Amino acid sequence: MYRFVLRRLLSGVLLLFVITTVAYLLLYAGGGDIARRIVGPTASQAQVTLKASQLGLDRPLVVQYWDWLTHALAGDLGRSWFNGQLVATGVSSRVSVTLSLVLGATIIAAVISVVIAVLAAVRRGWVDRVVQFVGVLGFAIPGFLIALGLVSLFALNLKWFKATGYVPITTSFGGWAATVTLPIIALSIGCIASVVQQVRGSLIDALRQDYVRTLRARGLSFNRVVYRHVLRNAGGPALAVLAVQFIGLLGGAVIVEQIFALPGLGQIAVAATSQGDIPVVMGVVVATAAIVVIVNLIIDLAQGWLNPKVRLS
Amino acid sequence: MFRSKRMAAVIAAVALGLTACGGGGAAAPQDQSSQTLTLGALLAPKTFAANQSEFANLSPFYQAVYDTLIRMKPDGSLVPMLAKDWKYNADKTVLTLTLRDDVKFSDGTPFNADSAKQNLERFKAGTSPDAQFLAALKTAKAVDATTLELTLSAPDPAFLNYLSKDASFMQSPASFGNADIATKPVGSGPYVLDTAATVTGTSYSYHRNPNYWDKGLVHYDNLVLNVYGDQTSLLNAIKSGQLNAANTADNNTLTEIQAAGYKVNPLQLNWAGLILFDRAGTTNPALKDVRVRQALNYAFDTKAMLQSIGQGYGELTTQVFPPSSAAYDKSLDSRYAYNPAKAKELLAQAGYASGLTLKLPSSALMGNTLPALITQQLKDVGITAEFTDTGNNFIADLLAPKYGVSYMILEQQSDWQLINMKISPTAPWNPYKYEDPKVDELINKIHVGSTDEQTAAAKELNKYIVEQAWFAPWYRPQSSFVTDARTKVEVQTGNAYPFIWSFSPAS
Repeated sequence: MYRFVLRRLLSGVLLLFVITTVAYLLLYAGGGDIARRIVGPTASQAQVTLKASQLGLDRPLVVQYWDWLTHALAGDLGRSWFNGQLVATGVSSRVSVTLSLVLGATIIAAVISVVIAVLAAVRRGWVDRVVQFVGVLGFAIPGFLIALGLVSLFALNLKWFKATGYVPITTSFGGWAATVTLPIIALSIGCIASVVQQVRGSLIDALRQDYVRTLRARGLSFNRVVYRHVLRNAGGPALAVLAVQFIGLLGGAVIVEQIFALPGLGQIAVAATSQGDIPVVMGVVVATAAIVVIVNLIIDLAQGWLNPKVRLS
Repeated sequence: MFRSKRMAAVIAAVALGLTACGGGGAAAPQDQSSQTLTLGALLAPKTFAANQSEFANLSPFYQAVYDTLIRMKPDGSLVPMLAKDWKYNADKTVLTLTLRDDVKFSDGTPFNADSAKQNLERFKAGTSPDAQFLAALKTAKAVDATTLELTLSAPDPAFLNYLSKDASFMQSPASFGNADIATKPVGSGPYVLDTAATVTGTSYSYHRNPNYWDKGLVHYDNLVLNVYGDQTSLLNAIKSGQLNAANTADNNTLTEIQAAGYKVNPLQLNWAGLILFDRAGTTNPALKDVRVRQALNYAFDTKAMLQSIGQGYGELTTQVFPPSSAAYDKSLDSRYAYNPAKAKELLAQAGYASGLTLKLPSSALMGNTLPALITQQLKDVGITAEFTDTGNNFIADLLAPKYGVSYMILEQQSDWQLINMKISPTAPWNPYKYEDPKVDELINKIHVGSTDEQTAAAKELNKYIVEQAWFAPWYRPQSSFVTDARTKVEVQTGNAYPFIWSFSPAS
């Protein structure tokens, strides 16, 4: 088991290195005249040169990258070129917002999907058909449209929730819930739609297995068979889908954060990318890549726990 | 039965959880008492370092923490601030300011002439886009603690104006070397930034400066500036009453905003239309002929343009000087009333009866309608418009200069700023560096003349520029600043955002 974890960790670190290197090179290639963009189109050439020199942009690319990498390994991700904030501070303060959304959406999606999928797989018939139809609908409607609809109904008309802004959970739980509920719902609907399909399929397959019949014949109740055995067997594929969905949600959060003006990673990523603020973009890349690596590791471990064969493979 | 009960319980629990969240939301305090002013903004400051600061839309972020030497009132007049009074010598090259002696920065450092001197020198040498505001400043000298003497290389009629803007933001000299000055400003302003409650780039929270020297300028205990990178989220924040006031980027949404109980405070900051950069005909010989440039002025149905592009919010004009300027002449607003026949006639006189081709730049920001309208109206008088998409390089290409003519929305500043921005041979918006002896002579009169001479020369310059058709302005679009019922504001002449002390509780 230790070797399994170690192997996964090492490949995660390698992945982080590759992602950050490629990202740095791509960003630099597409960066253009960043110093000019920072000081504005009417600034003099002397001001542009001064800014470029202040930022170290006049050094060769390899030197800049090496400088970034060695500092990053020591935990220093530099400062934003546009607002001077420490990247580590800016990114870490926003990770909690994005994780609130993405984890919240994943947990809600997991719970609701399993409930609905069990209903559909066990009951079949019209229940199953309705679930399938609604699932396709939920999958087809873009997240931002759902977000806009939710804002319009629950924030602007009913005034149950806040339309924009974010209150940290440490300041007020009620305030936090008021600001993240609609974004979480907007994010989770698409996720629920695809996880339900996956879990439903796995459950139907599992319910047809011989061991189900055997267990029922030994006198176990249907509920016990479904919740103790069938769900556990169907859990592996469901977890894999959830992991993929989680990573997809990180992308979906970008748009939702913009609509709800939430200070998350998505918002900072959009602002920094459009400005060409490379240190901040790199900070976001490192944070999201690290999240993805950690989530994959957790999913691998969970699958190993659910199914010992995975550990051996 | 048991199965469905259990599932129903799970569903109910989830639903209850969500409803509980909703309850929390409804109960959450709407931090909007008269003691907190919550403003919406479209842009966030890049840094709080005073020598890299900017103005216009970003002015409230800085004005909350940094005082200026001079204060500009909403009508554009100048009144004392950190400088109690000031006077020029006879040839307007030495400005002597008498400073207050009762002001302290938030770190306890006292404000004096030496700190003012250092701040001005740093701004001039810094990387603020407005660093050229202090181009005329040759030396700054602290004569004593409260006397500051500024020597200019040449008279600058806009210099006092600049001292009411970012050029004279006063930061504590003790903080000049602070590594975190970009996020932790140290000024003497009416508010102090609460860095713990601030999310850089998104939401800025300030508290009243308890030691502020002029209590009369501080109308709120707390100030919150929220930044909306997305138009929809700004509109939603306004419609749901989360903001006391905000500027809007789009007049299309005004009806919705008014329906939500907000008042629209109109202001005119810009003019929109064509800039005829290439008056010497370097890239297109036709543009050298004043008749062709005048024809371009006659060719546009500006009323229809204002209606279709600006939704009717704005006033027609054919001059670049604003109504607040001494150079403004109301009759010039209709100097080139829409007359396609006259445009064709002028083109024929100039030798282009059989047609003419103009290359113009386009950008995604212009949308599709604008290039189509321009193309159609030019076609009606026999001019073929050829648009090239400049991608993200629109402004850079204009200033390079790569185009003889372009659509543009430009700011209308005070006379001397306006001249230096778009008329003088060194102006960035005169990229071909076009010179005309008569214009130079008038600029010189405005530069060194007495107040009466300046006014007369400015009027003459404006008329001459319109007659010579250096530009083809269409209209002055209305910008809108919206306030809720609890908030009163006076919009600022020449600035996109009202100044921070112009806000007060309505009751």
